[in-house]
Amino acid sequence: MPKLNCARTGLVTLLILALFLASGCVGARMGVSWPSVGLITVNGEENITLAYNNDVAVLNPANGAPLRLINPISGQAMLDSENNPRSWILHGSNNEGAQFYSLPVVVDDETMLVAANNGRLLILDSVLLEATQSITLADKVVANTLEADGILYLPYQNGGLSARSMVDYREIWRFHTEEGIWATPLLAGEMLIVTSIDHHLYALDRSSGQRIWSVDLGGSVASTPLLANNRLYVGSFNKSFFEISLDGEILNRYDTQNWVWGTPAIDERGVVYVADLSGFVHALDTERNLSEIWSSQVAERGIRAGPIVHLDRVIVASRDGRVYWLDRRDGVLINSREIDNRPELLGDMLFLAPSETLNIDVPLLIVASVDEGRLLIAFEVDGRQAWVYPR
Amino acid sequence: MWDLILNPFVTILAWLYAALNQDIVLAIVVLTVIIRFLTYPLLAKQQESSRRMQQLQPQLKKLQEKYKNDKEKMSQAQMKLYRENKVNPVGGCFPMLIQFPILIGLYQAIFFALAATPFQLVDLSERLLIPGLDSLIPLQRMWTPIPQLASILPELDLTLAPTENPHYSLILPLLVLITTWAQQKLTMMTTKQKSDKDDDDEDEKPRGGQAQMMQSMTTIMPIMFGFFSMTFSVGLSVYFVTSNLIGIVQYSPQGRNVLDKLFRSKKTDEAPVEIELDDDVPAKKPRKRRKKKPRKR
Repeated sequence: MPKLNCARTGLVTLLILALFLASGCVGARMGVSWPSVGLITVNGEENITLAYNNDVAVLNPANGAPLRLINPISGQAMLDSENNPRSWILHGSNNEGAQFYSLPVVVDDETMLVAANNGRLLILDSVLLEATQSITLADKVVANTLEADGILYLPYQNGGLSARSMVDYREIWRFHTEEGIWATPLLAGEMLIVTSIDHHLYALDRSSGQRIWSVDLGGSVASTPLLANNRLYVGSFNKSFFEISLDGEILNRYDTQNWVWGTPAIDERGVVYVADLSGFVHALDTERNLSEIWSSQVAERGIRAGPIVHLDRVIVASRDGRVYWLDRRDGVLINSREIDNRPELLGDMLFLAPSETLNIDVPLLIVASVDEGRLLIAFEVDGRQAWVYPR
Repeated sequence: MWDLILNPFVTILAWLYAALNQDIVLAIVVLTVIIRFLTYPLLAKQQESSRRMQQLQPQLKKLQEKYKNDKEKMSQAQMKLYRENKVNPVGGCFPMLIQFPILIGLYQAIFFALAATPFQLVDLSERLLIPGLDSLIPLQRMWTPIPQLASILPELDLTLAPTENPHYSLILPLLVLITTWAQQKLTMMTTKQKSDKDDDDEDEKPRGGQAQMMQSMTTIMPIMFGFFSMTFSVGLSVYFVTSNLIGIVQYSPQGRNVLDKLFRSKKTDEAPVEIELDDDVPAKKPRKRRKKKPRKR
């Protein structure tokens, strides 16, 4: 019956609507942030560390495999209840359902700290890889923390920054902001430079947390500024890139095509490279009031992470699932690599120069995607894929 | 493709937010009212189509009885009935199907605009089509329902679920449940009233499968949306409640009269044309086979 068919169509459509609603639907994401990647010293060697969703992992830079937990007394691999070697992966499911977007910080040979997105600071026994203590924080943490001189600076997702002692973990001071702090603070002498979604760049006295100065950048700021030649370089969501003096004066401004989220990179000639969320990369001369040297649309989609400068190239990773190598003199595309399934490349990149502590012979570029099947992808400088770390 | 619907909604919502003194709740309410108002002609068309179909029910029933053993003939007779009454049997579905992407788009726009995490904000960066709106980011997320009672009713975080907000916000899922139920009930009553009015000699309840489906929707939908509102952000509950309240107005007789006048919706009050049941519905004429012409050599 046509009428019944119509009613059925209606019901089916309603159910589809319900499914859409239930899943957050049509491209909307329910997650919080992208993977965070950096370096950490474990057992005297430098390794890669990754924090994303439910896990924090420590990986071997040579092959991307998780480190094995070693018994410090016997020197043997530690085994789990089923006699399998234990890997260096901290699971949030074993720690009050914590989610991690902030990298762990080493306190000493046996202790690490990791701030979680459930508003807890976990104190870890890094030998046994177990939380020995959990401290309630003022809010969730979504950016990397900063450690300096025995003090841990914690930026909060919904606003504020606190300084905690790494000896007894008590809070020393807390600074309030109207909106969240989504970038790692930057140390500039005795000043702590903090950016906030509330549109401001703050300079704080690192010992007291008192504001020294602040400047309104007209849009949200979600990246750590670059400190070079006693100046700060930072972009904001009002499609602008700024050069700011260390006393808070905006010296120069450059208009970008879209929001700037990543930390810029600078080369030895004083050229700063800025990427924006329209897929543009801009090369600006810091010695000539941020005058444009070149600007070109490199990627189909936005570039969230900051560029990396290596030799004569600028490297960027885009939301279109590709990594691009550009000639830093003129922005001409030299090489590009497409990641399988083209996952969004949102996490900050990591460049590893060959060293004994890292145990690698060739430079590696580590790219972070949001695809659980290939969370980290390591490339050699010529674009060859070295390894992939799946979750 | 979906972005063609979604991005303008996100942009309009951000623009309304700027125009309405940066009050996001007011912006959500106003945008919901505008969209429901603009999609009213589609709803009216759907209702009119439904009404015409109701009018034909007695004749359809007679056809079913007469041709119960011959499905092909029954189908042909039904088509003749529809043709002579100028009714498209699936005509009511299209306006409904057009409305859904619009309403989902609106829902999604609110979801994106209330971005509160890095993931959500990075998605928002590609959706604002008018320059200058970027400086409004992040949109207001703390909201006090009654500022004068701020000491009793603390601020709600519109990006969080009621379970993560002050306890009084749990009233929102309840409001969603009640208003969804009321809207569904009113829809059903409207159909039943039409059925009773148009069809005095026939059974008084809405018929068979359709009635059952409508009954279950009246029960399932409020519970489903009430549950969603418990887990989704408070900002979306504001949208659900507003949308339901507008729906209630649209389905109420007074509301319909006003809206019909505004949109000058066409209502056909003619009695349905009856077809002669005794007349045999002409069967499909067999195709004449063309005689093959002999090929000329």
